[in-house]
Amino acid sequence: MDERKTALQRLGSQFTMGLLALALLLVVLEFILHRHGEVAAEDFPLFPALFGFAAFLFIVQVGKWLRMMIMRDEDYYND
Amino acid sequence: MTDPMISFNIASWPPGLIMILAAFAVPWIPHVARQIWMLAAIALSAFGLATGAGVHAVWQVMGLELVLYRADHLTFPFALIFHIAAALNVIYSWHDRKWSEHTASLSYAGAAIAAVHAGDLITLFIWWEATAVTSVFLILAAGTDRAQRAAMRYLLFQVLSGVLLLAGAAVIASHGGTISFDSMSFGGPDALGVWLVFFAFGIKAAFPFLNGWLQDAYPEATATGTVALSAFTTKLAIYALARGFAGTDMLIWIGAAMTALPVFFAVIENDLRRVLAFSLNNQLGFMVVAVGIGSELALNGAVAHAFVHILYKALLFMSMGAVLYQVGTIKASALGGLYRQMPFTMVCCMIGAMSISAFPLFSGFVAKSLTMSALGDTGIVWAYMVLLFASAGVLEHSGIKIPYFAFFAHPSRHKTGEAPIGMRVAMGIAALLCVGIGVFPKPLYAILPYAVDYHPYDVSHVTGQLQLLIFAMLAFIFLVRMKWYPPEIPSTVLNSDWFYRSLVPRLGRPVVSAMVGVWGSFLRMLIWYRDMGWAVIDRVMHAPISGPTVPGRAVMVQALLLSLLLLLGYLLLG
Repeated sequence: MDERKTALQRLGSQFTMGLLALALLLVVLEFILHRHGEVAAEDFPLFPALFGFAAFLFIVQVGKWLRMMIMRDEDYYND
Repeated sequence: MTDPMISFNIASWPPGLIMILAAFAVPWIPHVARQIWMLAAIALSAFGLATGAGVHAVWQVMGLELVLYRADHLTFPFALIFHIAAALNVIYSWHDRKWSEHTASLSYAGAAIAAVHAGDLITLFIWWEATAVTSVFLILAAGTDRAQRAAMRYLLFQVLSGVLLLAGAAVIASHGGTISFDSMSFGGPDALGVWLVFFAFGIKAAFPFLNGWLQDAYPEATATGTVALSAFTTKLAIYALARGFAGTDMLIWIGAAMTALPVFFAVIENDLRRVLAFSLNNQLGFMVVAVGIGSELALNGAVAHAFVHILYKALLFMSMGAVLYQVGTIKASALGGLYRQMPFTMVCCMIGAMSISAFPLFSGFVAKSLTMSALGDTGIVWAYMVLLFASAGVLEHSGIKIPYFAFFAHPSRHKTGEAPIGMRVAMGIAALLCVGIGVFPKPLYAILPYAVDYHPYDVSHVTGQLQLLIFAMLAFIFLVRMKWYPPEIPSTVLNSDWFYRSLVPRLGRPVVSAMVGVWGSFLRMLIWYRDMGWAVIDRVMHAPISGPTVPGRAVMVQALLLSLLLLLGYLLLG
């Protein structure tokens, strides 16, 4: 069990490192390439990155609130 | 007058009809040969598409002109992808020896294909209902009580949608309108009919608050059944909306709500196939927005999205079906770590996840970019932002949650291996198509309704989309590392089906019991009068007015009736 757990953790760490490297590359590219958005707001430097990050946090947070309101037992409908 | 009958020339048969006819033979053909028979039927039906654009079969009946086979630039992409999905489904369910589900899914796909080629509202209604009654068996096939109840609720909504469609067609016809199925407007004297048709489409397209049946029923079907369900009904509705209501502004609002709302439900849902059902709803939202915009670019976007969506959604449902088939559960709280035992399924699932999340080089990217560009052109910034937000949502539930909780998250608690070969072949083909379309979008663009000169792979699109996705993934990793990501909890998440599964029964029960009470007291009153009547008769019998002779009850009743008759006679004549 432990060995498999560490294997998963290692996989997770490698994935995180890869993702961070990609993110760094994208940040660098943002200031080299000329990116154009579909709407004006998107032209703001790193707008998609910031928007994506914030949107994700928001979704999960609202999900947590939603759990308090509409989460019920597994057999709520008695079937 | 148009040529009255369907000829026996196979090319003028409505595509799909041949699949429905072939489905009748399915129960009598032994396993394996049956799968080949079904693939042959699908191929033959697809061959009919080569007939090309035009009206190929019209049936004059009861003064109506039913257009059974109309093909044009809008029907073709839907017909093509429906055939591909039907074939994938046959391959995916290769291992299944029972005939019942095969019969259902072949006739279901056939009905959906026939519906796409319906040129009038009555023909559309017939196939619309046919998709309902054939597909319900895919849910019933799961064999559980829970599935049975979900199937009945599903059928209720599907049939309701059909009835609304028929009622709408009747209203339109009664106002002298044509029943031919083309662009409709709410402005005319037949507005009521148009609204009814709109609602009929809205139910099948899973508009907000009309969507409960989707998340309720789809995850209850069998491992193979859900894959078939995911392809046809809702995309038929998207086709119908694109045909009848392209450019209807209201659809932008409705579609935007559809993209955003299911996102929050999907975060907290524990059943991974139900997460995919919410995700399906969110994807339909993108298509509905595109239909609402109605420009050539946008309609291309809607059709392209429907096309690629059927593939990657089927792929995702197939991978989860494979997990369900192998492990016996699809609850996130009971899964994890399967990447070692089911590596092929995991890779296919990841390809589906990256396609739906619209990573560059995957099919979702080349389709969604069309809609986003079209929306950008309209200048409706709020809707654009909602769809951008929903794109992060897609990544959350379909891109990350599905593969993460099934294949990673925790070490596996199950002893299992890869799915049957048929399942893997179907997943492999779907995965190849997802990547193929993503890398070479030209052939897809070539079959879209309008001529396309669109290049999704420019610097802005690629880096913008990658920024959104990569940083949203970083947010996920941040939340998991901080242990702030909500854990999987065995639970039921309430959805719009709560209104009729819980609220209506709760409000309805007092009403029904009050009605039963009133009826009961009415019956008791009648009984009391009857008893009183007998009591009077008995009293007269035991104390006769006319002397010592005691007449029987029957005589007394006769005497009373005759007296009444006499009285009536006097009244009438007098």
